[in-house]
Amino acid sequence: MTKPTATVSPDSPPKAVRRRRRLTFDKASFMAVFVLLPLAVFTLFELVPLVQALYYALTDWAGYSPDMNFVGLTNFAAMFSDPLFMKSLRNSVILAAVVPTITLVCSFVIAAVVTTGGPSTGRIQGLKGSGFYRVVSFFPYCVPAIVIGIIWSQIYDPQRGLLNGLLSALGFDFQGFPWLGKVDTAMPASIMVIIWGSIGFYTVLFVAAIKGIPAELYEAARMDGAGRFRSAISVTLPNMLSSLQTGYIYLGLMAIDAFIYMVALNPLGGPDYSTWTMTQNLYNTAFFKGKFGYSTAQGVALAIVTLAYAGIIALIFRLARGRDDGTDRA
Amino acid sequence: MIHLISRRRIVAAAMAGTLALALVACAQPSPPPSTASSASAPGTDANNPFGVAPGSSVEVYGFDGGFGTEWLSFAAAAAQKNLSDVTFTVTPTTKLMTELQPRFVAKNPPDVIDNTGADAIPFASIIDQLETLDDLWAATNYDGDKISDAVFGGVDKAGTSDGKFIRLNYALTVFGLFHSKTLFEANGWEAPKTWDDLATLCTAAKAKDKYLFTFGKEAVSYYGWLVLDSAIKQGGIGVMNDIANLKPGAWSAPAVKDALTKLEALIKDGCMVPGGSGTQFTQAQAQFSQEQKALLYPSGSWLESEMKDATAPDFQMTITPFPLLDPATAAMPYEAIQASGAEPLSVTKDGANPAGGKEFLRAVLSKEAATNFSKTTGSLSVVKTAEIPADGWGSSQLASSMSAMSAAGSNVFAWIGDTYSIYYGIQDSVLWASFLDGSITAEKFIAGEEELSAAAAADTSITKMVYDYS
Repeated sequence: MTKPTATVSPDSPPKAVRRRRRLTFDKASFMAVFVLLPLAVFTLFELVPLVQALYYALTDWAGYSPDMNFVGLTNFAAMFSDPLFMKSLRNSVILAAVVPTITLVCSFVIAAVVTTGGPSTGRIQGLKGSGFYRVVSFFPYCVPAIVIGIIWSQIYDPQRGLLNGLLSALGFDFQGFPWLGKVDTAMPASIMVIIWGSIGFYTVLFVAAIKGIPAELYEAARMDGAGRFRSAISVTLPNMLSSLQTGYIYLGLMAIDAFIYMVALNPLGGPDYSTWTMTQNLYNTAFFKGKFGYSTAQGVALAIVTLAYAGIIALIFRLARGRDDGTDRA
Repeated sequence: MIHLISRRRIVAAAMAGTLALALVACAQPSPPPSTASSASAPGTDANNPFGVAPGSSVEVYGFDGGFGTEWLSFAAAAAQKNLSDVTFTVTPTTKLMTELQPRFVAKNPPDVIDNTGADAIPFASIIDQLETLDDLWAATNYDGDKISDAVFGGVDKAGTSDGKFIRLNYALTVFGLFHSKTLFEANGWEAPKTWDDLATLCTAAKAKDKYLFTFGKEAVSYYGWLVLDSAIKQGGIGVMNDIANLKPGAWSAPAVKDALTKLEALIKDGCMVPGGSGTQFTQAQAQFSQEQKALLYPSGSWLESEMKDATAPDFQMTITPFPLLDPATAAMPYEAIQASGAEPLSVTKDGANPAGGKEFLRAVLSKEAATNFSKTTGSLSVVKTAEIPADGWGSSQLASSMSAMSAAGSNVFAWIGDTYSIYYGIQDSVLWASFLDGSITAEKFIAGEEELSAAAAADTSITKMVYDYS
């Protein structure tokens, strides 16, 4: 180990030096532990299953026997004429578009208020008691998704739920109104639950991002006469685009999945399958319809949708950042 | 239907705990010093019709699930008492296939298996290794009754595979319409026998600020049982066979259409507690059993234990058969009822003592063992001579199930336990939910079901089954 491999005599040809370097135990063991091992693990547990899944997607495998026939792209063609799949695709796209947008706007507002919404004189700080608001907003994130789903399915209960009780107490006639049982309200009601469960985490993420913005920027803006709102839009927002992008992608992936929430709220897909997601359809196709091949093909489609979503978001943010892309990447 | 299974498992799991203690108490009784009884040839001794060899032993493998194995030990003790020189042992297990597969391969299986649970052995793969039970049916039980007369109708039929009667489904689940006897008596109402009665009852319910029915989003298929069983009783079991065999137009058969149209009229008339499509099913069931907002609920005999913690005091949960569409032209009487078996007991051919296995079943099918089974598990057995007191040991469900089964006589049918929809992966719950909450008409519902059946019929990847529930 202590062999001074770096000392190169000026006479020795450089080729020999390189060869000797390649052969050292140091270098070999480093390669083995930090490159080859992870690569092997990655290949074994990521690439192999991926390729296997791609293969299954091209078969009619039923799941309980080793027999399967190669059917080419039949499964993929079948998806487009499968009304249930198309409905789930539509629902997942709606979720991916709506959930991150509303969640992140809410999180941004809360984060801005608790970090920079304080008095307009003196140090840049949040509202009085902002620590309390931060904890409160983070709280739902500490509750497991399945529990959130169960709690809200009770809140939405038509006869005894908290929501209808509250609305009735306020004088609206909502007694017996099935929020999760009407085509028009089932999806918005479910989206509301997912947002409720996610705001806290992104608030904390944004608070951290905003704390990283130099205070001078706010002070300068203040001197130029910017109010709190203007500061938030013109100083805070442009300086935390990376966090916003990260949030958009993570939340979008979560929304496309949405499996746990939907299973808790509407396990059978909601009225007229209005909350049926791609993940539910995939699971159902495999385990209740016994079509693992077709299900795997849907999984591939899901992966494509997810990748496309991430690509679109990255593109939008690239455009939003303008020419000087890369400089503010944290 | 998936829900039915899981729900029954939950009930089962709850019962398992209670029975664990009893199990410990029931160890193998040692054979008492007997007054030597001479071995006899098969069929000559009424006490030993199968000719179990003295000194031999009988091994019973019991599934230690919802019903536990205490009831098997109880029967073993009774058999032991009858043939004191034969040893009966009951081994509880939850891993039937795992433990017994090697023994079947080695031609050394236990004599009796209670082949059920998640790790059950597929019957199709061991049919040839099981004894046929026809001679058991001809034998008498410990009460001196011919066994075929001591059980409810259809048990041998339900236990027949490939033309061989090889399994005895011992526990019985009854399906029907539930009401509270106390509530009905207090208001002078009677359990509905026809769909017209349902309409009358709905009007009476409204006068009391109540509803006729309630439903929850996960359990909409229960209304499928109501509709289809009524249709079967009107048009015969062929109605169900056509649906299960994916025959085009089966859902618009007159009897099915009539039941759906009548249900639609009730829904339109506001007979359902509003909001069912957004209500969790146990909440909906509590509207029936606790709040008593709905007078009736279609379900199976597990409902009482499922709702044990959410039932109003003095709510005597009572099951009655599903109502008739038109009593004048119905193919079956009102009393006809759906009941399906569970806990299948089989005797193996290659076991050391097949005669002993049958002797054990003789004990199980006796009054005392059956009464004990119902008392300890809260479930009905197939033995109709079981003595269930009028109060069902505190279970009005048990008592009413028993009287419904006795009234049905041979008019018992079953299809829920072996449904086409699970086999073909047909899922119609969303359709049912839309229909029950009034979003779609009966006509649209029928079209939807026809579409699902047609899609399953067109799917070449699943081998077509031929269902015959008669």
